[in-house]
Amino acid sequence: MTATYRPAEPIWCAGCGHFGVEAALTTALADLDIPKQETLILAGIGCSGTIQNNMGTYGYHALHGRVLPTATGSWEANPALTVIAAGGDGDGYAIGMGHLIHTFRRNPSITYIVMNNGIYGLTKGQNSPTRQGTPTLDAVLLGLSVLETTFIARGFTRAPDQLRRLTTAALTHTRQGRGFAFLEVLSPCVTYNDTYPRWETEHIDLDTDDTYNPTDRTSAFATVVKLETEGRIPIGTIYHNPTAEPGTFPNPATANIDPATNADTYTDIIDQYRI
Amino acid sequence: MTRVVSDLNAMVAGQGGDGSLTVVTLVGNLLAGRGFHLYSTRDVASRIKGGPAAALLRGSIAPRTGIGDTLDVFVAFDTEAIELSGHRVAGNGFVVYDSSGGPLPPGYLGDGVTVVEIPFGRLAVGDLRRELYKNSLAFGVVSRILTFSDTEAASVLEARFSLRPDLVEANLQALAEGFIFADDHGFTHNAGPLRLTDTGHSERILISGNHAAALGCLVAGVRFFAGYPITPATEVLEFMTRHISTYGGVAIQAEDELAAVNMALGASLAGVRSLVATSGPGISLMQEGIGHAGATELPLVIIDAQRAGPSTGMPTKSEQSDIGMLVHGGNGDFPRIVLAPGNPTDAFELAVTATNLAQQIQGPVYLMLDQAVSQDSTTVPPFNVSNIEINHGHRLTQEQLDTLNEYRRYAITNDGPSPLAVPGMAGGMGLVTGNEHDEWGKVSTDPTNRVAMMDKRARKIETVAESLPKGHRFGDPSAPIGILGIGMESGVMQEAVEQLAATGLPIAGLQPRTIWPVPHETLAFLTSKERVYVIEHNHEGQLAQILASVRQDCATVTSILKYDGVPFTPRELAARIAEKETAT
Repeated sequence: MTATYRPAEPIWCAGCGHFGVEAALTTALADLDIPKQETLILAGIGCSGTIQNNMGTYGYHALHGRVLPTATGSWEANPALTVIAAGGDGDGYAIGMGHLIHTFRRNPSITYIVMNNGIYGLTKGQNSPTRQGTPTLDAVLLGLSVLETTFIARGFTRAPDQLRRLTTAALTHTRQGRGFAFLEVLSPCVTYNDTYPRWETEHIDLDTDDTYNPTDRTSAFATVVKLETEGRIPIGTIYHNPTAEPGTFPNPATANIDPATNADTYTDIIDQYRI
Repeated sequence: MTRVVSDLNAMVAGQGGDGSLTVVTLVGNLLAGRGFHLYSTRDVASRIKGGPAAALLRGSIAPRTGIGDTLDVFVAFDTEAIELSGHRVAGNGFVVYDSSGGPLPPGYLGDGVTVVEIPFGRLAVGDLRRELYKNSLAFGVVSRILTFSDTEAASVLEARFSLRPDLVEANLQALAEGFIFADDHGFTHNAGPLRLTDTGHSERILISGNHAAALGCLVAGVRFFAGYPITPATEVLEFMTRHISTYGGVAIQAEDELAAVNMALGASLAGVRSLVATSGPGISLMQEGIGHAGATELPLVIIDAQRAGPSTGMPTKSEQSDIGMLVHGGNGDFPRIVLAPGNPTDAFELAVTATNLAQQIQGPVYLMLDQAVSQDSTTVPPFNVSNIEINHGHRLTQEQLDTLNEYRRYAITNDGPSPLAVPGMAGGMGLVTGNEHDEWGKVSTDPTNRVAMMDKRARKIETVAESLPKGHRFGDPSAPIGILGIGMESGVMQEAVEQLAATGLPIAGLQPRTIWPVPHETLAFLTSKERVYVIEHNHEGQLAQILASVRQDCATVTSILKYDGVPFTPRELAARIAEKETAT
């Protein structure tokens, strides 16, 4: 067996929520028995953008804000891979927000885990678009408003069992080719914005609410708007489209590029230009 | 009396949407039937309909990649066309003028020009109930001027509308009316004032640089394309969208150029040959991603169809003002290669080369076109796909990887590139990052490692430098005066050199096809001449600056620049050179 890089130790501060995200992802990949060589983890820029170094899989460090188009390209090029994009709220909701909307719309079968802590940690605590007390945006509602979306969930690192369950469900959704799995994780930054106490009281678990129907987009939207207006943060499976069918996709990574065997059809194209 | 022509320049002009291109296409088909080489171009505004629009065609027994000095036949659908372009008609030329909108404006045409005034538009609306039929009317007159038989003209028209059988009959009727008007003006059947030299039919295709480049990339194994619509590069997006899925590939229209280049990086990461195509504004947006390809050592081909800048500039006009950006753009130092084709054959060949080179150097390779090379169509011999080679560079097979004790994504090697495994391969797991990194792909700011990695990446270019595409030579190689230019200047330089040679001024010509790194061939050319004129379509002499930057004693280089959005004519360029020579 060929030896390759030794996974790195996390660079995060003691108590950082991202440890919980990494633990959930590691467990989910193991539970689903996904080989490391078939797993590609792409991460953005920021504290969260180092998670791929710790996993032992194929890893890629994208440009700031561009993790989703990069992951989309990798998956389009080889849909047999398990493609996981990861990043922070600054990376995904500020500089990269334009791509999130279009990834919702395009619905590629990749998982996107956003570690939301409301700030830019690596540059020492500037506000992100989700910083409470400033004008904020909500990516869960945004996702619900795009009718192509098939899987939207939010976890909280203080609810590790649920987070592992949600991560597993997201990976299963994409590995079955059912579309884009969006998982936002409330993952506090204990150094610059310790939201643990606040989110302990503000979060509300929809998975334990028997009256909540995550397959009904309309009621999901209404519930999230109502709860967030009341200052609550819903977590759990927010929306799951049960009619999303497994797709079949071309696999360019296995396409025949041999000029000799393609010569006849290449010549057919050239002949269209004959005069 | 009939004049025999071996080089015919024709122009059809009116308002956008008039169908000027149709007439030019039909005349082109007639000329191609006689074995003439074709070159066709458009002069349009950036709008769907309206605004002055013209289509130009050159048919010649010698292959040409540019319009000639004067027009032999000019079809003008309105007074504005005469006002804008009447001065371009040759002294013994022919003007077919649509007088529906008013009489021929005086003072724009030479005394010897033959003018045929017919209210095509009014007749088409009145007799045929559709104004677009004026094109077939005009085509009837032009085919008579050129002494094609009525049967030849009709068969070309029928072929043109073979996909729209419902339109054939009315167009043939319009053509027949055109013949009647021709009779009225003395252009009787098989006895027109011009007649083409008969050169015999040759196997040729009529193709634009954009289509040729896209085809070359496809043939060289590109199976992923991402793009965003932008003039004048959109044809590459359209070509790939139409053809790549047949070969198991994917083409994506991204939300912007930032997404497009990063999608291509993601696909390249997965081991698929990837391409993006855009114009200057899109390159500006892709700069960070292209630098990332350099730092992460991901193969990527970038087609730049240059247009007049800066900023939004003149989207439909040709320029060569991205040269500096392609050679030096992006933050930090990273290796890249810039190739520049001058015609569709070049575009096809260099696209194949660029696609392989990207794999060899595991980094960005630019294919630099300009609007004229990108969008003008030229007849060339059909491309040969029987001798295409695929170079995998240092890409590992699973069997090769299995024999290694360890795999380091960025292993330091003598020639630069590292052995490459892609996701899905067992034992090839690596970390890819645009941060400076060690051999394993882990982030590192260690000074020794930094220097080793920068030098490793730079070595990739040194390794392939000698194998990069050579340029095209023309003119008198022993002449002490040289001329050098790329892209859209290629064809016009050759004609200007021919004209100057006829006046007793021999010149040696070089059209380099590798721009960066500056090849030895280019430097040797500069050194061997007393003086060299560098011809460019930009304001700052970007190519000359780059040449000067690698060759400090470049005092003999003189820039001849144009930046009005209009190509040189051969006569104009010859005059600019003659003027400089007189001053020397």
